[in-house]
Amino acid sequence: MGLPLFRAQDDPGPSFFHFAEIAGLTAPNSPSDLSSPHATTVIAVRYDHGVVMVGDRQATSNYIASRDVRKIEAADRFTALAISGTAARGMEFIRMAQLSFEHYEKMTDTALSLEGKANYLSPIIQRNNLSSPLVVLPLLAGWDLSHHVGRIFEYDGAGGCYERFDFSTIGSGSPFAESTLRLGYHADLELDGALDLGALAIYEAGDNDPSTGGPDFVRNIYPMMVTISADGFQELTQEDVANRFRVINERRTQSGGVAGGSLR
Amino acid sequence: MTNYFYVAPEQLIRDRAEFAQKGIARGRSIVAAIYDAGIVMVAENPSASLNKISEVYDRIAFAGVGKYNEFDRLREAGIRWADGTGFTYSRGDVDARALANFYAQHLGDMFTEGQKPLEVEILVAQLANHVRPTKLYRIAYEGTIVDEPRFAVLGGDAETIKARFAASEDSFEPLIVTLKNAIAALAGPERTIEVSDLEVGILEDRGNRRTFLRLSDEQVSELLR
Repeated sequence: MGLPLFRAQDDPGPSFFHFAEIAGLTAPNSPSDLSSPHATTVIAVRYDHGVVMVGDRQATSNYIASRDVRKIEAADRFTALAISGTAARGMEFIRMAQLSFEHYEKMTDTALSLEGKANYLSPIIQRNNLSSPLVVLPLLAGWDLSHHVGRIFEYDGAGGCYERFDFSTIGSGSPFAESTLRLGYHADLELDGALDLGALAIYEAGDNDPSTGGPDFVRNIYPMMVTISADGFQELTQEDVANRFRVINERRTQSGGVAGGSLR
Repeated sequence: MTNYFYVAPEQLIRDRAEFAQKGIARGRSIVAAIYDAGIVMVAENPSASLNKISEVYDRIAFAGVGKYNEFDRLREAGIRWADGTGFTYSRGDVDARALANFYAQHLGDMFTEGQKPLEVEILVAQLANHVRPTKLYRIAYEGTIVDEPRFAVLGGDAETIKARFAASEDSFEPLIVTLKNAIAALAGPERTIEVSDLEVGILEDRGNRRTFLRLSDEQVSELLR
């Protein structure tokens, strides 16, 4: 690539996505419906001082393609981005989002607002999903530095962006995760409660949906759990995550595999 | 009827060089120096928002003097080039030398073929990692590129400032010392520069991927204390 200089009227501004399109760095969309691995089930729950995100680790095509995929990434210090849908497109999408937020910051010497980041992703999702069967659906959660509150943004297949004030789920295990969250969520949820509820939601999804991986005690692979708060993006240690899932598993073993009439 | 006069190529080059030098000399200067743990760039800049120093990539920074709109466009092109290259290949493949060469070619082209030469002088700084060395590439208005071993001075009064800084420092010192020397060299013996009129940026490993840090007035005051 040569030095990308533009005249004022052709300048793509601080948007990396628009620059990448002009410079031909993005892959052209094709209508090929090649079967490729899918990544599934991530949830986000708001609690009193931020957002908790939990995601399973499995990528599935006709078989289990991978058991240790990381579907939640820090898009920047105060923003987490999770993906569902086609894994390849999802990974590219995360890379594009991470780079775009950093690019904007370097070009303008100011960080994008959380709402700005959420809206920025809409046309990128729209462009991908409306021109290719390799659909990708992200979930954005972040700490809003100007309003001091954790916020969740979900998208529909056409790129529509909607803020959720309680919780959100993406991926094929959504119905099970969503039901769990609906029953367990309340407005004054604290961090620990939100983490346990999020873990239970992914446990249910892994238990019922063949494309979602639950805790893997044999290989020591557990769903990924992160918090986004005033301290930024933080991932729970594997030990902490393992313990939370062990507790759920123990309860479930005692009740013979059913929730036992209540959320447990 | 228009009369065309013959102008000797030597004269044309001299005129263009003089034009560019005059433009550059109107602005304030920048000192960039390697210290024991990184690179510090110090600009005299009364504006708090029209920056002369900028982050380009994880370990690369940009500094420019002269006409703001001209060097800012180069700065933006550098960020786009770096992010685009890192996106296409990998973050480790973004090299300051390649960027400095592109800048030199562009400035050279503009000097000989442009409507007018660019009235800028720029610096591409790179902090070392396990595969690349620490580098200060100074690129002049006509495309000359110089790989400065210890420090670089950009701007009108470069020779005087260079002599002052060279006299104050002959080895890599801690940031506090290098920053003080750089400010003293910019100011000269008769003058002091207010902290609010300084723009300071560093490249230093702090455990993060991105090594660039713009120092606030408070941070600079703290270091100078």
